[in-house]
This record gives sequence, structure tokens and C-alpha cells, in this order.
Amino acid sequence: METLTHIMNGFGVALQPVNLWYTFLGCFLGTIIGVLPGIGPSATIALLIPVTYGMNPTSALIMMAGIFYGARYGGSTTAILINTPGEASSVMTAIDGYQMAKNGRAGAALAISAISSFIAGTIGVIGLTLFAVPLTAMALKFGPAEYFTLMFFAMTAVSSLAGKSPAKAMISTILGLMIATIGIDLQSGQPRFTMGVPELQDGIGFVIAVVGLFAIGEVFATMEEMTKGTRPEIIKLKGRIWLTRDEWNRSVKPILRGSVVGFVIGVLPGAGGTIASIMAYVWEKRVSKHPGQFGKGAVEGVAGPEAANNADTAGAMVPLLTLGIPGGGSTAVMLGAFIMYGIQPGPLLFQNRPDLVWGLVDSMYIGNLMLLILNIPLIGLFVRLLYIPGGILMPLILAISTIGIYAINGNPVELVFGLLFGVAGYVFRKVDIPLAPLILSLVLGGIMEQSFRQAMTISGGNPKVFVGSPICVTLVALSIVSIFLPVILKRIEAMGARAKENG
Amino acid sequence: MVDRVILVCTIVVAAVYFYATTLIPSLEIGDPLGPKAFPRLIGVALLIAAAMLALEMWKERGQAAAKGAGGAPFDPAVLKVLAVVAIWIGIYYAALEGLGYIVATSAFLFPLMAWFNRGKWLANALSAVVFAAMTYWLFVALEVRLPRGVLPF
Repeated sequence: METLTHIMNGFGVALQPVNLWYTFLGCFLGTIIGVLPGIGPSATIALLIPVTYGMNPTSALIMMAGIFYGARYGGSTTAILINTPGEASSVMTAIDGYQMAKNGRAGAALAISAISSFIAGTIGVIGLTLFAVPLTAMALKFGPAEYFTLMFFAMTAVSSLAGKSPAKAMISTILGLMIATIGIDLQSGQPRFTMGVPELQDGIGFVIAVVGLFAIGEVFATMEEMTKGTRPEIIKLKGRIWLTRDEWNRSVKPILRGSVVGFVIGVLPGAGGTIASIMAYVWEKRVSKHPGQFGKGAVEGVAGPEAANNADTAGAMVPLLTLGIPGGGSTAVMLGAFIMYGIQPGPLLFQNRPDLVWGLVDSMYIGNLMLLILNIPLIGLFVRLLYIPGGILMPLILAISTIGIYAINGNPVELVFGLLFGVAGYVFRKVDIPLAPLILSLVLGGIMEQSFRQAMTISGGNPKVFVGSPICVTLVALSIVSIFLPVILKRIEAMGARAKENG
Repeated sequence: MVDRVILVCTIVVAAVYFYATTLIPSLEIGDPLGPKAFPRLIGVALLIAAAMLALEMWKERGQAAAKGAGGAPFDPAVLKVLAVVAIWIGIYYAALEGLGYIVATSAFLFPLMAWFNRGKWLANALSAVVFAAMTYWLFVALEVRLPRGVLPF
């Protein structure tokens, strides 16, 4: 009952004119930047963090959330029109979406993507509302050992699910942890790995790393494509952005199925949207009466994965808000943003700041609706962004990255760190080292070490504390299972690949 | 080949990290683990990851041979262009505070656009200057401090 009051009060917060405005602005900016080829949600959130510097935390976080799902949505437009998904989770959308666009149904593909995003997003937020309270009740029982094992689980899950090679993903995870240890050790006050550079004393800010790895690194990769002349062609958008009754009837069930798959996968830590959309695609193809159409422009092949991708966004907010532990790269960036505003998500936040938490959750209902209203009429405008020549756009992204990093502390040395991360991001892309695990462990590294040391202090230095409670044992067991997940996952991917080939 | 380089780099990073760990000054009072324990653990984990990579390479040795030499990921001609871009970014960062955001950014953007978007002089020049000016005022309005530099406003 008390929760219901909080939820209602949350709408009061979310519906304040100023917060409505920031929800709108977040969705709008998120979509715009998300549409840009190659810029995924992580980079979008990091690049736009400076925009929120002058705001109060509630409004800032409401805007961040808007940016997050706006960017997820914007990525699909790119997938449909130029067959290059802005991020891995739109890969399955590109298969049939791009074919629909080639068949002259680009408008319908974009419309179904917008509608399924709205429905799935709303179902996802309902799920988030329902699951948040029981999960926070459980999370209140968590001590340092439980938190440590939970973070350990999140990292093993992300390592084993990101990229092609689990070993490279693990290297990426550990590099992130290593970077997190740079700076003054909070418990002993000793500087670590600072090499006498004063800028390193406070550690390396996650915004610098994210902007460098994702935005600057991506610019290098795109400049390479431009130098080689391998940029993909854009399909021109013709006709109305709407779909026929038949297309709609064929999409309803895929949307509902995709929403459920997406939400459930989103709650679990790991590669999230990518796995969810592959599973939704495979599912749709299995139950379809005409599987032969898949890969040639089947509307179900857009509706299902798109729904899964967007429900996943809401699902991913569940562990982030209730436990304070993100399950992937882009939610890790969200956590970083929370911490920047001095807010530690987790069960205590639900007790101490119900206005903030529920204002944020409720703003997501409104944001999803806004995205729908915004996207159907304005999509033609967003699509124009795709026509900006890469030769102009890439330098501009470099300049925006500069603002993003410089605005934190006004220190040019940090810009150089950003550039170094950019070079690393480019090299990592080329050699198939995934970036999301690095970001996750960079953001979590500090908290993880603290939990580790607190747990060890409480137990008097006995490492058995990490298997000392049923929750810990479960989490350790899950971590071990997730290490063996790549084997299972290879099968799912093979199914996805087969679906693509047989198409 | 690439994986072999990654393997060597990983081991080198782990070694350097272990060495750097020994340099951390520690006064272990009230904290039984001290500031070194967690980094040591991470260093060990990195070595385990390197071992995993070696195992993966060993498992896939047949496939790698079948792929042959076709897969060098880096093209020297491209790398030259990117190296120049990276140096140019470095020069921009160095000049940012002295020249101010608007001047430095316009001067940074224009040559890049001239190179990657050839022949469109007017569009490039306009994009560079208008973008720099608009973002400056936008962020100043949002209370984000950007260097003013040589311009009086």
C-alpha cells in the first residue's frame, strides 16, 4: 500500500512541467545521437552527461533515462535504413528491417519499430515497477560478501557473453578493474599506480574512459572505413511512416512475446539486448507459418527483436535500481552517472528517496509514450541526420567528445587520457576485444574492492565469508554456470545464424 | 598472429602491474588486507585470462592456419591517416585553453572536414564555425565552463 502511494507520488514528480521537459529533451537528444551510425547508448549517455551538469539530480537522472531508451530506439533506425546497427542489439532488426526497406516498406519497418518499442517499453516498465519492491526487500539482506559475489557474478556473466572470445572479454574485464585501482586508495589513503601524475590521484573518471573508448574509438573506426571507401549505402525513405492492417495483425503477438523475452533477459546480467533480440528472432521464426519469409523482409522479424531490445532496457534497470549493480555496459554508464550526482542506487535509495526512484521509473512510462508521439511524425527529420556526410559528422563527434571530457574538471590532461582511451578503443575493436566488460568493471571496481575488504575485515581475513550465506553460495554457483555459458550461447547463435542463412 | 601479440601484451601488462603493486607504500593499520591485496588478486586474474587465451589459441590452431595470412587487421595506409588525425587531436587539446574553444575548435574541425569531405569548401567552413559557436553558447547557457581564450565574448 505504501508502495502504491510512492508510485503515485512518483507520477507527481514525473509530471512536473520541468521534468516532463527533461524527459522530452532526453528522448529527443538520445534519439538524435542514437541515430548517428556507430554511436551506441553508452557513448550517447557519456557524451550528454555535461548537458545535465547544472540540473538537480532527479531531473538529471530522468533525462539520462530518456537518453538511454531514446538512444536504444535511435539505433534501430540506423539498422533499418543502412543495415549497420549502431550497437549489437539491433543486429537482428537489421536482417529483416533492411530487407523491408529495400522492398519499399522502410516506412512500415520504422513504424513497427516505434510501436513495438512503445508497447515493449511500457510492458518492461510495468515489470520494473512490479519487481522492484520484492527485489529491494531481498537486497536489504545483502552484506559486503553478498555484494562482492554479486558483482563477481555480473562480471563473469558479462565476460562470458560479450564478444566472440571469453578470454579476450576476461582480459577486458580485468583491464577495467586495473584502471579502477588507479588513484588514492580510499581506505588507507595511499596513492596507487599514479606514477606521480597529479591528475591520476582521483583515479580515471569513467566519462573519460567511455567517451574515449566508445566515441573517439568509433570515430577512428569510421574514418578508417571512409579512407577505404567501405561506407554503406543509405536507403531513401519514401512514403508514409505507417503500416497496413495486415502488417499490424502479424506484429501483435511477436511484440508481446519479444517483450517478455526482452524483460527477462534484461534483468539477468550479461550481454542483454543482443541475446534477447536473437532469442526473439529465433522464436518468431520457429512459430511462424511462413518461416521462408524471414530474411526477406518479414515484419515479425522486426517486431519481435525490436520489442525484446526495448523491454530489455527496462529490465536492465531492475538490477541497477534495486541492487545498484548494472548488468552490462550501458547500465554501467548509467550507474556512473548516478554516482556523479552523489546518488548510490540500491535498496536504501528506495527507502530514503522514494520520490527520486519512483519519479524516475514513472518518467519512463511517459518517456515511452513521448518517443512514440515524437517518432512517428519526426522520423523523417531524424533520418536526415543519416545524410550528413561522415566527413563532417566524425570531426563534430570529436569536438563533442572534447566538451564531454573537458567539462568535468576543465583539465586538458584529462583530454589526453581520453585520446589514449580512443586509440585503445580503436585497437580493441580491430582485435575483437569487447569494450562493455571494461566499462562495467571500471565503474564497479572501486565498490567491488571496498566490499571485498569490508567482508574480509568482518571475517577476520577468512575467505570462507564469500561462501558463508545461501545468497553468496547461489551467486558463486551462478558465476560458475555463467563461465560455461559460452558453450550454450554458441548453440543459440548458431540457431540465429541458421535463421539468417535459411531466411 | 594478432592473438599472439595480445597474449604477449597481456603478460607484459600483468608483469608491470605486479611490479607497480610492490611500489605502493603501505601502512597496514586497522585494515588487515592493506592497499596491495586486491591489486595482487587482479594481477593473478589477468594471468589466468592470459592462460585462457593461450588455451583458446591452442584449440583453434587448425582453423587459424586454414584462414591463412588473409586477416591482417591493420592497413598501413589507413594507420598513417589515423596517426595524423590523432596527432592533430593532440595539437587541438594543447591549443584549446590558449586559443579558446571557438577559435581552436573551428581551426581543428576545418582541416579534418577538408580532408574527409573533400571539395565542399563552403559547407565545411560553415559547419566548422557554426558548430563551434553554437555549442559554445549552448554549453555556456547550460553552465558548463569552456575556455574563452582570445575572443572577447
